[in-house]
Amino acid sequence: MCGIAGLLITDPDQRPQLGALLAPIFEAMTPRGPDSAGLALYGDGVEVHKQVGPATKLTADMALADRGGTCGIAHTRMATESAVTTEGCHPFMAGDDVGLVHNGSFSNYATVRRDLAATGVSFDSDNDSEVCCRLLAEQLAAGAGLAEALGSVPDRMDGFYTLLVATPSEMAILRDPAGCKPAVVAEGSGWVAVASEYHALSELPGIDEAHVFEPAPLEVHTWRA
Amino acid sequence: MACVSTDVVVLDAAVDDTRTINRALRALPDGARARIEHARGRHNLAVGLHHPVTVDVVGNAGYYCGALGERATVRVDGSVGWCAGENLMSGSVTVRGHAGQSTGASAHGGLVVVHGDAGARTAISLKGGRVAVAGSIGHAGAFMAQAGVLLVGGDAGDGLGDSLYEATVFVAGRIASLGADARVEDLTDDDVAVAVALADEAGFDHIDATSLTKVTSARSLYRFDALAAQRY
Repeated sequence: MCGIAGLLITDPDQRPQLGALLAPIFEAMTPRGPDSAGLALYGDGVEVHKQVGPATKLTADMALADRGGTCGIAHTRMATESAVTTEGCHPFMAGDDVGLVHNGSFSNYATVRRDLAATGVSFDSDNDSEVCCRLLAEQLAAGAGLAEALGSVPDRMDGFYTLLVATPSEMAILRDPAGCKPAVVAEGSGWVAVASEYHALSELPGIDEAHVFEPAPLEVHTWRA
Repeated sequence: MACVSTDVVVLDAAVDDTRTINRALRALPDGARARIEHARGRHNLAVGLHHPVTVDVVGNAGYYCGALGERATVRVDGSVGWCAGENLMSGSVTVRGHAGQSTGASAHGGLVVVHGDAGARTAISLKGGRVAVAGSIGHAGAFMAQAGVLLVGGDAGDGLGDSLYEATVFVAGRIASLGADARVEDLTDDDVAVAVALADEAGFDHIDATSLTKVTSARSLYRFDALAAQRY
């Protein structure tokens, strides 16, 4: 189990509130992943914060509630495939600014990693999710759009996953063919929020009017900033 | 803690933790009514109630709402997460909105009603309970369902009725695909009567019980085939 959280602000007037709105969603995912926490924050460029320990410590240390921006994707980790270290924390970043958080586990990541390494791709960790992130970045660099690149992940990667991906202009989500790992999306007025469980979104202003749904398996959803 | 407003015990999930709420519900006398306010997606609300009480959940509930219930009536005016009414023994769980996956999983008895859509694995391993969904369900509905009835007012996703035992599935809309060992059977008058009664009890008025598709087990997986290995 791990937790994912994401928030994309489409209304420029609401962008100063990105951190204040995202922090409680992120912190509510702590029971799903108390080992470590991480966040990629998109605004003027992208910055990544990750550390061992609960999400509440990270959000306090970086004063997330005071931060604005266009998009943030966050992860609370319950480690399975590699050690509880800062290197094993999500989000994983590839290319210049492709961020990925992953709830689940890949079973064939060593094979895909060898294939990517043979083409010159290098890795920062032993983590399975980093392999998926490098795979996505490779396809984006080759000219694929985010939806196309994310939609092709099931062709190469086996396992259980909910993947939440961000670039400076987009946020996207994909669930595995069996819908094994959870995700709830809320499309509100001026924002789109994602979490592993609904309760994390329940305090968002305007949630009662938002379009709330669970993405179907293998259905790629993308949203532009 | 609980406060009494007229004859309804009001519990506030914004104030009390889940155990406090569920303990208060279990302490209610038979026939009592309670309301849980500010549910906000809280997991495990109204779980394990073993006596005839009526619980209304205001807002959306999380996982396992009304699970393990016996004789209780649980009603949610919003949507629920995964496993609503899981392992229900009797009584009912009614959801006004949508439900996540594994709704009514392993229910031995009672009735689970969803007025919206339900997700994957609806009525998985059903063991005698009844599950009625007004809208559509996701993939792997009634997977390995052993006894009971699943009624779907909309469409059913891929792999419906895979590895079914003796449960019966009725679908009003389209079936994306049947799972292994599931087959479509002709509707009998008894089937129509069962579906009409279930739809009535669930409060559905949009289902024509005479045009439902009935799915049951082909029973080809029931026995070990000693000669199967020789075919390879």
